[in-house]
Amino acid sequence: MKETRLGEFEEVILLLVGILGEEAYAFKIAEEFESQTKRSVSIGATHSTLSRLEDKGFLTSEMGKSTPERGGRRKRIYTITASGQRALVASRDFKLSLWNQYPAFSTGKLSFGI
Amino acid sequence: MKKNQPTPPRLAKGFLLRFLRNDLVEEVMGDLDEKFYYTLGKNSLFKARLNYWSQVFNYLRPFAIRNLKSINSNNFAMFKNYSKIAWRNLFKYKMYSFIKIGGFAIGIAACLLISLFVKEELSYDKYYENGNRIYRVINVYNNNVDFWRWTAFPAQIAQVLQDNFPEIEKAGRLIPYDWYNAGNNQFRAAEQTQNNYEEGFAYADQELLEILQIPLVYGNPEHALEKPNSMVLSKRMADKYFPDKDPVGQTVILNEDESNPYVVGGVMENFPSNSHLQFDFFITLTEVEFWPGEQTNWCCSNYNPYILVREGTDPHELEEKLLFIRDNYIVRHLRETENQDAVDEQKYRSFYLQAIGDIRLKSKDIGDIIPHGDIQIVWLFAAIACFILLLACINFINLSTAKSANRAREVGLRKVVGSFRRNLIRQFLTESIFFSGISVAFGTLLAATFSPYFNLLSGKSLTLPWMEWWFIPLLILLIIVIGFLAGIYPSLYLSAFKPINTLKGGPSKGSKSSRLRNAMVVFQFTTSITLIVGAFIVYRQMEYILNKELGYDREQVVMIQGTNTLRDKLAPFKNELLLLSEVKNVAASNYLPVSGTKRDQNQFWKDGRSKLDRGVGAQAWRVDPDYINTLGMNLLEGRGFSAEMASDSSAVIINQTMAKKLGLENPVGKRIMNRRTWTVIGVVEDFHFESLKGGIGPLCFFRGTHGSILSVKVQTENMAEVLKSITTVWDKFMPHQPIRYTFLDETYARMYEDVQRTSRIFTSFAVLAVIVACLGLFALSAFMTEQRRKEISIRKVLGASLGNLFQLLTLNFVKLVLISLVIAVPIAWKMMQKWLEDFDNRTEINWDVFLLAGIMAISIAILTISYQSIRAALTDPVDNLRSE
Repeated sequence: MKETRLGEFEEVILLLVGILGEEAYAFKIAEEFESQTKRSVSIGATHSTLSRLEDKGFLTSEMGKSTPERGGRRKRIYTITASGQRALVASRDFKLSLWNQYPAFSTGKLSFGI
Repeated sequence: MKKNQPTPPRLAKGFLLRFLRNDLVEEVMGDLDEKFYYTLGKNSLFKARLNYWSQVFNYLRPFAIRNLKSINSNNFAMFKNYSKIAWRNLFKYKMYSFIKIGGFAIGIAACLLISLFVKEELSYDKYYENGNRIYRVINVYNNNVDFWRWTAFPAQIAQVLQDNFPEIEKAGRLIPYDWYNAGNNQFRAAEQTQNNYEEGFAYADQELLEILQIPLVYGNPEHALEKPNSMVLSKRMADKYFPDKDPVGQTVILNEDESNPYVVGGVMENFPSNSHLQFDFFITLTEVEFWPGEQTNWCCSNYNPYILVREGTDPHELEEKLLFIRDNYIVRHLRETENQDAVDEQKYRSFYLQAIGDIRLKSKDIGDIIPHGDIQIVWLFAAIACFILLLACINFINLSTAKSANRAREVGLRKVVGSFRRNLIRQFLTESIFFSGISVAFGTLLAATFSPYFNLLSGKSLTLPWMEWWFIPLLILLIIVIGFLAGIYPSLYLSAFKPINTLKGGPSKGSKSSRLRNAMVVFQFTTSITLIVGAFIVYRQMEYILNKELGYDREQVVMIQGTNTLRDKLAPFKNELLLLSEVKNVAASNYLPVSGTKRDQNQFWKDGRSKLDRGVGAQAWRVDPDYINTLGMNLLEGRGFSAEMASDSSAVIINQTMAKKLGLENPVGKRIMNRRTWTVIGVVEDFHFESLKGGIGPLCFFRGTHGSILSVKVQTENMAEVLKSITTVWDKFMPHQPIRYTFLDETYARMYEDVQRTSRIFTSFAVLAVIVACLGLFALSAFMTEQRRKEISIRKVLGASLGNLFQLLTLNFVKLVLISLVIAVPIAWKMMQKWLEDFDNRTEINWDVFLLAGIMAISIAILTISYQSIRAALTDPVDNLRSE
């Protein structure tokens, strides 16, 4: 059976694919990751994760349009599949349930300035 | 797009395309291009390119890499085949393989160890953060006849440097030599009673700690030596005397002098082994004055200044500016005292700033008592190691080309079935790299095994740096370089065979084209003989030094150290020793004619001429009245000191050189002066009191009574027994201080440890070179006899004697060794002449050295060959001829 849990990095990438929509290709995703997290990441690492997520069935991809700054080459656009969305929801629910079990957080006594 | 718009680095692109999966090329190249132009928009072109490269390397991931097996499967298969053939050849010709690999392994081991040695020598004092701004100030006196450089300056130097030159950030003084409490002392913590002898004391300014950035374990690095009578200990000494506590603020006593205690101001890390300074105790110079007025007088030079200059200072410009010190202090002092040296000093004195990283290896002519390496010796060793490796390469080349007959058919066949010459070259190179790989593995093992022995030779503690990141890659590089060097000629040679000739079965070419091979054998033996001669001559020089008549008797003299703590009990102790029947004489003095004892340089003139003549620099030694007898020196004229005569307190005994330098004829009764006047009462025969590398300088004795070394002349067959009695007497007088003694002759021999070391290293290398050369010769002779098997058998059938055959087989090789001898003699002569030039007292290079080396080389060669020749000559001819 294929591993279907999401790692932290995988989860972020998956979300970014959803956020970027039509523009979700390796370079853009890496850029977005850097600007949102302030952590640097190489395109290669992003690409590797994307293709792993595709293997797990959370993403599909197809070749998109080309632009001049890419030297006329096409880009590979990724989209989330239904099972990808399910995995994201499961991951969020799991964490929420953990948060709710933590008494200090669930009673709202602690404020994290959210 | 504009034409000259910057593009991503083409090399990186090419690299990417080499490994990237084909179906990913379009998207990845597109993404990377986009990233590149995006970065270019924000950053410099360089940054964008760098980023592109890093992006490319980040694609080296399993998912993106093309399946390797699918590319060039043929090439890969061929490489597999090459290594299989190499492996088979290795076992098919075991003897030859053993010799190739064994020779290489020896060469590589030698090379590795020597590289470690060279690396260690070159790493001295390279670890300072501000290393390029730290200098040692050095005096230069150059009148185009004499060229002197020395490190000692008067006391005020640091202040003057600091106040007058804005370029100098800090200046600090150091007294590294045996002087007052610098050098060695009896040491104890105030609360202990047991006195211990410790070495490695030096005086230093607080500024010196800061300039050298000496890290402190305890104490404040900015104030550790600031207070008068403060002291900094090394970590190991702190652990020894104050285990498990912070010793800062503790009191320590030197030489039982409780009136002058020291307070520990800090504990420093031990000096790294590759520092030119190796001290365990720094005594502060704050408010130190060795005699009244010493700190302000420009008469006497005893301080070594170190400086830290500001960023961007040009040392040469600063050297020019430093002449200010000459004009305003040094020469002015000479003028004020009406010293005749003023004119010359003004003309010829200058200053040199020696970068701290140069001190270890580039201080050969600078007298500073600090142990130095010698850059020449370092490079000499490096050259010798390379030569040994080269000899091993030659073995490989010789054997490969000689054995080519065995491979000729293979080459022919490979060509017939479609191999290009290129492929064959590749094959033979693979083979030689394969061999060098095995050899490097063995060589590294050898080096690891023999590194303790090598450490003994070189006086270092080196280990193979397995843990360093560069070590393994370096070995791999070594494998490739050596494999290539040794393999390129044989592979060109072997791959050139014409298939038709080799397959037809004609005579093999390999055995005939022997000119190059002969040249290589000559080269090997030339190197070996040169090293043998070198080893002989270094050994002879050492023998010469150890047997040299020195002008005093160094046999059976026990030097009891640390007797200064006896104080008033010295005379009773002496008398008690003299009661022992084996003790002939006892004398107390700090000054002895071996290194590591005190020295005191002074200026002397004939009486009343100090304002007219140039002074004579001479050693002034304070010695006990029994000194001359104890050390067996010859008094040529006059008399020795008397303990009873009060007038002897202003008497002086001079050596012959001093009498000559001062221009004194019939010196006895004449008067000489330094700061006061003295009457010459005797002349002692010249004796060697410094290293035999130099000559004998002027020297004079004054009468003294005390000293930290008591020399005891004994006459006995049973030294152990005498030492026991001496120890008993000592323990009676000094129960809290263990006795410590050395022998004069051993201390003398230790002065020449570097010569002894060179001698041993030369010998070891000569042996290695001979072994490698002989391995080669052995294999070559085996091959030759194998080739001539049938010829020998026929000769034998026709009646040739064993002697005839032996001669036939060995003569050629002996000729080669003789030629080598002829070439080696002038090279070795020239080289060793140069080495001996360092010694004012040196052995002659006699022809018998060369004769001996020649006989040795020839007999070793004949011995090596004879096994094969005799075996060939003894075989039954039938065995070799019946197959025809």
